[in-house]
Amino acid sequence: MIAVEGLRKRFGDRTVLDGIDHRQERGQSVVLIGPSGCGKTTFLRCLNQLETPDAGRITIADVTIEAGGRVDRERQRQLRLRAGMVFQQFHLFPHLTALGNVMEAPVRVLGRPRDAVEAQALGLLEQVGLSQHAGHRPGQLSGGQQQRVAIARALAMEPAVLLLDEPTSALDPELREEVRDVLRRLADEGSTMLTVTHDMQLARDIADTVLFFHAGTIVESGPPEQLFGDPVHERTREFLRSVRD
Amino acid sequence: METHCVGPARRDDEAGRPKRGRGARSLAWLLVLLVPFFGGVGAFKTSAADAWDEVSRAGILRYANDAEGGAPYIFHPPGSPDQLTGFEVDLAAAIAGRLGLKPAFVQNNWDVILPALNQGGSFDVVIAGIEWTPENRAKVALSRPYFAFGQQLVVRADATGLDSLDALRGKRVGVLSATASFRMLEKHGGIDARVYQDNVNYFRDLESGRLDAVLTDTPIARVNLAGNDKLRRAGPPFAPGFYAVAVRPGETALLARIDGAIDALLKDGTLEKIYRKYDLWDDGQAALTAWKPGGETTAEKHSALKEWGTYLPILLRASVTTIWVTCSGMALAVVLGLGLAIVRLYGPAPARWAAIAYIEVFRGTPLLLQIYFIYFGLAQQLGVRLSAGFAAVIALGLNYAATEAENYRAGIEGVPKGQLEASLALGMKRRLALRRILLPQALRISLPSVTNDFIAMFKDSSIVSVIALVELTKEYQIRAIDTGDYVGLGLMTAGIYFAMSYTASLGARALERKLGHDRR
Ligand SMILES: Nc1ncnc2c1ncn2[C@@H]1O[C@H](COP(=O)(O)OP(=O)(O)OP(=O)(O)O)[C@@H](O)[C@H]1O
Ligand SMILES: [Mg+2]
Repeated sequence: MIAVEGLRKRFGDRTVLDGIDHRQERGQSVVLIGPSGCGKTTFLRCLNQLETPDAGRITIADVTIEAGGRVDRERQRQLRLRAGMVFQQFHLFPHLTALGNVMEAPVRVLGRPRDAVEAQALGLLEQVGLSQHAGHRPGQLSGGQQQRVAIARALAMEPAVLLLDEPTSALDPELREEVRDVLRRLADEGSTMLTVTHDMQLARDIADTVLFFHAGTIVESGPPEQLFGDPVHERTREFLRSVRD
Repeated sequence: METHCVGPARRDDEAGRPKRGRGARSLAWLLVLLVPFFGGVGAFKTSAADAWDEVSRAGILRYANDAEGGAPYIFHPPGSPDQLTGFEVDLAAAIAGRLGLKPAFVQNNWDVILPALNQGGSFDVVIAGIEWTPENRAKVALSRPYFAFGQQLVVRADATGLDSLDALRGKRVGVLSATASFRMLEKHGGIDARVYQDNVNYFRDLESGRLDAVLTDTPIARVNLAGNDKLRRAGPPFAPGFYAVAVRPGETALLARIDGAIDALLKDGTLEKIYRKYDLWDDGQAALTAWKPGGETTAEKHSALKEWGTYLPILLRASVTTIWVTCSGMALAVVLGLGLAIVRLYGPAPARWAAIAYIEVFRGTPLLLQIYFIYFGLAQQLGVRLSAGFAAVIALGLNYAATEAENYRAGIEGVPKGQLEASLALGMKRRLALRRILLPQALRISLPSVTNDFIAMFKDSSIVSVIALVELTKEYQIRAIDTGDYVGLGLMTAGIYFAMSYTASLGARALERKLGHDRR
């Protein structure tokens, strides 16, 4: 479902992604952990082309983009349609209601009829526990509620994979659980997810596989029990010690 | 250590002063600052007591005229734009010569030339086609007449049946501001009088079809019709009148000298010589010799505040023009500015450069220049004849579009980057993201600046009076010159402006509240 080969990205003379290879099957939930500044966000942004990689090949579902050469905007868009994105800072559209946020892209991008989209959007808002708040603007919602709207907004496009960048880290601890809850359910239902997080609780809950990222490379990967319980690399151990403290 | 002590000690000293002392001190400062101002005014007042003493001591007769007045009064001769000539220039020289003085020309806007005289200071007399009318005699002291003129209707050469005021009912007639001609049109009623600031542009507008006729003084008609086969006189001159030299009221010594000089110039044929030079001598000038002093002045003083029932509706009617010019101009500016901002930010390179050039040119040149260009320039060069109202709206709109474009650009750039990224991540094309996500937020960010500009345009719109559009400020000016009540009318006019801009800002605030999306 996701295939990444030899992905490289530099900012100036700083190499942030140093040849990443990653494969992920349909229905798999992968969690990416690693120290701050090691390139996790950049990796997700390359996957849906918010950053242009310098080298490598990215395939999501049936769309492949090879780095180098002219930027093909339409192909980028096709890729993005298959990769839903949930941002750390939500980035909800502040001038639209929760329902409007969810309906906007299906109506305007996919051109689907409003009534059908509205029914689907209300269903999604119910799934994330927000049917009461469909008519509220983002400014009237708490952080946890906003992030759940953002997840519903991404799901409304029925993407092949869902990319989540630290979905709980902008939230107060007592609001994290409501978002974890939604993500647990998605993982259980067999969604294909790639989640970056510093929230080890979330990682344990939703991951089929955990990747440890360091200095632009994947150092180690494995099921959560193994990676958290018995990590192979010294760097991984160090990192896990530091987040436990 | 010592410096540490000095600081607080000083502060204590200051804090120890009673509060009132502070207030009194700043008041004293204010008075000190104002002294030169009041002192200056006082100096004018004392000098006004007897101008002749000062004039004769200085050996210079400072006379005011308006070089924009045009031929034959005062103008730059063709080919030598830095010289001044005209029958009033020659007349001023002759009068000064008679009195053993040197003439010195002082430029002053014609339609406020009499109030400027009364404020004193920069000139001693006005020699500028001031009409010998009861209205003017109530404001200033007038000499014996130096020129006899009549009212002349001018129409296009091919016009028929427009040779009297009665025939011009409902027609557009150009007329100079604050003149006997203007008052005549007003009294006659039923004529669409278009008020101009100078003696040249109404003939252009008559030629180009923006006017149906011009009512003007015979010398102006004579000069402007010479060699012009597109225009012709309509009917004989009527309502004879005189021009006289104006001095400040009460300056009898100076006035007597001017009277004597004009008398002498008339008797020895100098006046005839001057007027013949400009082809102005006609049988009508016999009235100068026959003239006898006397006649009544309208001593009645108008108070616009007491007669508000008359003047308020007049001002309100003029404010309608201000409102529609401003609202239409702003509508144009808002739409065009949005287009410019988008092209500037997202257009292909050449279009982007063009947008930047547009913005810089329109922001970097005076609005007044742009109005002249659009109204007169386009008509002259391309034959595009916009009506005054339309030209005013276009000029204000084009000018403000540049400012609005920058407002919108700031608004678009003020939308957080994450908004575009979230839109793209949902598969939106840039154009869709701009229209549906970025612009609605950008407009909210720009709204306060746009409101400010809207209110500023209410005030800037007064500049369109230069193309014969009587809006609120122009109407104020006309009425204030007529009645001499600058304060009462000024208060009314300011009140109307305030009501307009306050309403606009209330509306804008309500709009901001309605669109506000960050409040709980
Ligand atoms: N647009 C950019 N221009 C220059 N440098 C950048 C840019 N974006 C990221 N970087 C740098 O790339 C490195 C990786 O950043 P990235 O945001 O991917 O880290 P991260 O692993 O997501 O960190 P965190 O856990 O703190 O979110 C950092 O050193 C960052 O400063
Ligand atoms: Mg990050």
